[in-house]
Amino acid sequence: MNPTEQLIRRKFQEYYLTFRKEFYLPPHPEEREYGFLLFKEKFMVRHRAFRDPSVLLGAIRDLVPAHIYFSTAYYQEPTAAMEEKGWKGADLVFDIDADHLDTPCKPSHDRWKCKGCGTVGNGGAPKICPKCKNDRMEEQTWLCEQCLRQAKEETTKLLEILYSDLGVEPSDLRVFFSGHRGYHVHVYSTQLQVMGEEERREIASYVLGQALDPQLHELDEVNVGGVRVIEGPQLGQPGWRGRMVAGIYDVLGEEGDRLGLSPAQVRTITTQDRDEFFKRPFWSSVKGFGLSTWKTLSVKAVDRRSAKIDTVVTTDVHRLIRLPGTLNGHTGLLTTRVPRERLDEFDPFRDSLAFHGEMRVRVKDSPRFQLAEREFGPYLNEEVELPSYAAMLLLCKRRAEPVG
Amino acid sequence: MLTRADLAKYPFLSEAAEYVRELGLSIDELSAPEFGLVLDRAERRLEEALSKGRVSGDVSNESAEILSFPVSNLILSLVGEERARRRFALAESKRAYGLLRQEDPEKLEYIASTTFAWKVKRLDVKLGRRFYDFALSLPDFLRNSVHLREPRWNLPNRVLDHGFVYVTRDEAARLMEEEVRTKILERSGRSPDEVPKLLGSVVERAKGLVIKWLGVPTKYELPKVPLPEAMPPCVRHIIDSLDEGKNVQHMGRFTLASFLLNIGTGEEDVVKLFKPATDFSERMTRYQVEHIGGKRGGRTKYTCPMCTTLKTHGVCFKPDEICETIRNPLSYYKAKSRTLTNEGPKREPN
Ligand code: SF4
Ligand SMILES: [Zn+2]
Ligand SMILES: [Zn+2]
Repeated sequence: MNPTEQLIRRKFQEYYLTFRKEFYLPPHPEEREYGFLLFKEKFMVRHRAFRDPSVLLGAIRDLVPAHIYFSTAYYQEPTAAMEEKGWKGADLVFDIDADHLDTPCKPSHDRWKCKGCGTVGNGGAPKICPKCKNDRMEEQTWLCEQCLRQAKEETTKLLEILYSDLGVEPSDLRVFFSGHRGYHVHVYSTQLQVMGEEERREIASYVLGQALDPQLHELDEVNVGGVRVIEGPQLGQPGWRGRMVAGIYDVLGEEGDRLGLSPAQVRTITTQDRDEFFKRPFWSSVKGFGLSTWKTLSVKAVDRRSAKIDTVVTTDVHRLIRLPGTLNGHTGLLTTRVPRERLDEFDPFRDSLAFHGEMRVRVKDSPRFQLAEREFGPYLNEEVELPSYAAMLLLCKRRAEPVG
Repeated sequence: MLTRADLAKYPFLSEAAEYVRELGLSIDELSAPEFGLVLDRAERRLEEALSKGRVSGDVSNESAEILSFPVSNLILSLVGEERARRRFALAESKRAYGLLRQEDPEKLEYIASTTFAWKVKRLDVKLGRRFYDFALSLPDFLRNSVHLREPRWNLPNRVLDHGFVYVTRDEAARLMEEEVRTKILERSGRSPDEVPKLLGSVVERAKGLVIKWLGVPTKYELPKVPLPEAMPPCVRHIIDSLDEGKNVQHMGRFTLASFLLNIGTGEEDVVKLFKPATDFSERMTRYQVEHIGGKRGGRTKYTCPMCTTLKTHGVCFKPDEICETIRNPLSYYKAKSRTLTNEGPKREPN
């Protein structure tokens, strides 16, 4: 462990030793596997199980991990080897993370470097290196307000889909801030927990609106009494149908001119009340709009209304996911439960702070950032005295080092 | 609700099993000469499935129809061959679909909610030009739809309303076909507690049939590739389809052959994989495989088609996360072997 890691670990230890609250525990905590990623050599302690939150806290105090996880799955024997655990089911989970979002600010705060050939770039890392086709990347990211706002918006869209399409009961659903760049949504439903990977992949692709074919939702050209007219879904229809139509209205309003509509056409559409406009037979009401234009529009509308989740997390039925209430080693922030009716007001930069007091650190380089409604930075090679939560963020992000 | 004729049409129903149980006949008794008709029908069911991939819908002798079904399953479990079980399950379920799709909604709903324990609601909704008779609970829908590959079965293309998926009458029948198939696979996979003495010769005959129609068993296995688990979904699907006696189009066959040859499978093993195909000709297959492998013709070894090509030909099947990072099934194999051998995720959880 280098001095930075030693310092972070010491602060984490202090935090857990004085921790007096109860951990948030998922249903059936005793049937879960727990995992701890240690500071030392990034070693992962897995296959642990706890019947009692106080024993869990004891283990955390002993090990002082950088990251603490639990399994979304329930097992007969959570401590056995993977093949012998006896899988009983798993919560349905969704991960929305800035890593998977295409925010315009990314190039200004994220960088990547190919581990194979050393090629570097700004923004999110590509899946494979454009130069050597290697898929191992080193990423340097930053906690950005705009990215987190976008992540929250995706979460809001996800919740709407979960409630009205999947029929998830609000009381079966929990939302968490990951303590880094996104949100986690856990669904506890006895009906859904037995689903396998393939079923979950379908759900993920539903939420993403992946490969949705408007024609299979009955957007088509039909012959009505010798006249060719376009027919399609209606506002208020269930699932993607109604949502697609609502999305089209937004797309038309915002990028109608770029779609080749005349300003007058854009005006006729947007000055009308949405519900008015979408009364039948609007699909044939815009001059010059053929089937293919409507299809393009529908696909755009779906993309806009879909929730950008990480498919891998939802699909994996043996996933380890961050334990709420614990520190995120990437930031020193807490993984925080967000009451779902308060998602709007939740401010990750205010509501997930863990550390008190002041610390002196040497900052190598840091952009301007905001925590607890205070502005910090930018800093470049300077020694500063900071509130501990800010200093810890810089240390965890490896933007600062201990002094002395 | 159900008549005896229904049980003959759908011998997989819980009521049919109940009927057999109530007759109080043991399997040993069923195999006795007095029940010659039952045994005959049981064997014929198997042979029809193995040879044509279809079981006839003839229900002239109702009790033979009902009683022969469990006997066929028993014979299969004694034969103990996965590929024969799969073929039989597919053929029986196809027959069920053909009959179910003609039933009225009341009967479909009844069968769905009893034998299959589906959570299903009657619906009377017309959206666009389509008429939906049922709304099926999401898990019940998905459990079956994931086996179906046409885009209309993909969840994003469905109407999903508060946890229920709208389905037409015909779609409900199609999903029930899948349910029947899984049920039969399960049943014929159970090993019987005791082996009825009288069935000995029947089982031997059935083994003969399997060899006759599907080839010698021990030679038929997953191809000897270094890591069978690393095969991409499309290739696995082609193998499964062949195995079930489904028709695989030229592009699919070419993909399978070129993929396997490129990762070092022997030509002999590749040829054998095609054996269960309904139109199998050993000579033609060998010729084509050798051609792809570069032994014949231009002596160039063909490489596997690109994913884009496979997508346009409908060979691509349920691409997964790895598929997003590759452009050729061969790269999939490489990438997956790597994650399989050095284990664990590359990325830590967020
Ligand atoms: S993406 Fe390529 S490798 Fe994956 S299933 Fe489709 S064709 Fe196969
Ligand atoms: Zn590179
Ligand atoms: Zn950003």
